[in-house]
Amino acid sequence: MGRPSEVFEVDGHIIDSLILAKVLDVILDAGADYRMLDVEIGRTNVDPSRARLEVTAPDDGTLAALVAELQVHGANRVATGEAETVAAEADGVLPVGFYSTTNLPTQVCLGGSWVDVENPEMDCGLVLTPEGRARTLPMHRVRKGDAVVTGCSGVRVQPLDRPRGASPFEFMTSEVSSEKPKNLLVGQVADRIRRAKAVGGRILAVCGPAVIHTGAGPCLASLVRAGTVDVLFAGNGFAAHDIESNVLGTSLGMPLTDRPAAEGGHSNHLRVINEVRRRGSIAAAVADGYVASGVMYECVTRSVPFVLGGSLRDDGPLPDVLTDVVEAADAMRALVPGVAVALMLASTLHAIATGNVLPAGVETFCVDINQAVVTKLTDRGSHQALGIVTDVGLFLQTLSDHLA
Amino acid sequence: MTLPGGLGWGRRFLMCPPEHFGVLYEINPWMHREVTVDLDRARDQWDGLVATLEEAGARVERLEPQPGLPDLVFTANAGMVNAGRFVPSRFRHPERGPEVPHFVAWFKAHGFAVEELPEGVSHEGAGDSLPFRGVFLSGYRYRSDAGAHGPLSRLLGAPVRPVELADPRLYHLDLTFCPLDQRRALVAPHCWDAYGRRVVEALVPEPIVLDDDDVLAFCANSVVVGNRIVMPACPPPLGRRLEAAGFEVAVTPVDEFVKAGGACRCLTLALDVALPPVGPTGRRESGAPPATSGPAAPPPTG
Repeated sequence: MGRPSEVFEVDGHIIDSLILAKVLDVILDAGADYRMLDVEIGRTNVDPSRARLEVTAPDDGTLAALVAELQVHGANRVATGEAETVAAEADGVLPVGFYSTTNLPTQVCLGGSWVDVENPEMDCGLVLTPEGRARTLPMHRVRKGDAVVTGCSGVRVQPLDRPRGASPFEFMTSEVSSEKPKNLLVGQVADRIRRAKAVGGRILAVCGPAVIHTGAGPCLASLVRAGTVDVLFAGNGFAAHDIESNVLGTSLGMPLTDRPAAEGGHSNHLRVINEVRRRGSIAAAVADGYVASGVMYECVTRSVPFVLGGSLRDDGPLPDVLTDVVEAADAMRALVPGVAVALMLASTLHAIATGNVLPAGVETFCVDINQAVVTKLTDRGSHQALGIVTDVGLFLQTLSDHLA
Repeated sequence: MTLPGGLGWGRRFLMCPPEHFGVLYEINPWMHREVTVDLDRARDQWDGLVATLEEAGARVERLEPQPGLPDLVFTANAGMVNAGRFVPSRFRHPERGPEVPHFVAWFKAHGFAVEELPEGVSHEGAGDSLPFRGVFLSGYRYRSDAGAHGPLSRLLGAPVRPVELADPRLYHLDLTFCPLDQRRALVAPHCWDAYGRRVVEALVPEPIVLDDDDVLAFCANSVVVGNRIVMPACPPPLGRRLEAAGFEVAVTPVDEFVKAGGACRCLTLALDVALPPVGPTGRRESGAPPATSGPAAPPPTG
């Protein structure tokens, strides 16, 4: 959860009386911070003015003391009231007016106190359990009778802490740009991965087939082998080309070494998909020695959980691919808890799908040669994503060097 | 009738005879139940104050005293008056709450429009709020809430500028501030916080600063009628300054009432306060503190 915050309102001749100045000073003196939400200055000197400000304190104790101190100066907490719920009338249907979630840390007011929402996820409903817990629930998983929060009263979201000074996040303050010293950025990503791992955070890699096409497969495989990657999301293409490159030495028929292009290489990936299908699963293909190296091989042998989500244009697909997209998204959701850093590696569809299910607190690095992919991810609400515009093969090579 | 250059108000007061006055509870640092009030002396002092005010040219209206309400004599705390409107106080201490209906009844019977403050905020009327140069300067912390000032300005149709009080012995603004005319006021800056000092400094062009002895002798709790200042006490150095400034000082002892923490101002409520209405062309609340050479005060209307 982020730092505690409350909205205050102060009203009257707050400018001429220096009350507003005093209130702001009191907030800063207490070590808290404020954001002015709106100020209405009276039209004439008879009209009182009004200001609303959001106060963020370092901890609950400071905030409670501030509530008391600010009240003396006429700045009162804006009452939010209890969250209102309506019972879902059918499975998979939210009530009219349901509260639509963001991926930010969210709290619900229940019985006068603020309860953390357990699994922040954007574009979901908020469901209260009979035991007084609050969870996000995607539309399709709502069951008839669930108590779904409606309207906005009694719900508050907390903006992520603003990066300040020389914090580890300092480098995350600017927009995505290709005009960045890559080695420095990658070094900082490596730093974040190390810090996250040190406190038990999990690292998620979301991979597009370009990881294999650019020849970065062995590099990523070694990161999985070294225990850097804890969860992997991808599609049929990534897994198929990973296996193709390890079994036949090509990716979509193109040799990954300096060998000349193979005759009939365009069907190579179909042949390996067919062989894996013959064996029933990637794990079975690893077990019988058909797949003896690569990213998927390392995932299977190191029991790194992965989700392969299907799409319309998939060849095969591999038997492990979840072709029901709702089922695939649920499988991804199940693996999100504990993820602290997400690496979106040259993937557009899977990166956006993953962005949808990640809480805003997950540090997300989106690596793509195409700036538009990164922009697209942030435009869809994953504001926490930092874009690194570069070739994914070079990125993974540099990251391995930094982590070595 | 007003004197040129005078306050423009302070010719008509509401007072309540001390038939039932006493120190029956303790709600400020001056009150001690073991201190007995000499009721005969209190009556004489109250009559003396009335006579002094009337002699200065003021009219005194009388509120019927009520048994069990010893502080009803302190009519300054009845509420705030502006141009025929009356906003009754919401007392911080429940002991004084039962006074309110008596004040409200009197104002209704005398043709005032009565407007109520919202629930949950305290404000103790003219005891904490005095008009000066087109605004009500209003004390807060011990008895009145800063949150009352927004609603008060709407109800009174006048700007109300809060000042934080900083000495619990001087729990109402009228113990630290007394308007004398359009430019001068008795001020006790050491009794306000730093922001409040800046606000008053910006508002009062020619302050007459009181020291701690003056303030603790209740010198600021005086009533001004024309150019006469009716004071509960006046140390000679202060008296010389006031006379040099052209005021007449009339000392009328009210020490029986000081036992309950109030003096001349507390015993009176000006009924003729009328700040000029400010239309849409008036100066809006500015980002900067008001300049000391601010807009000229309006002509007196009392």
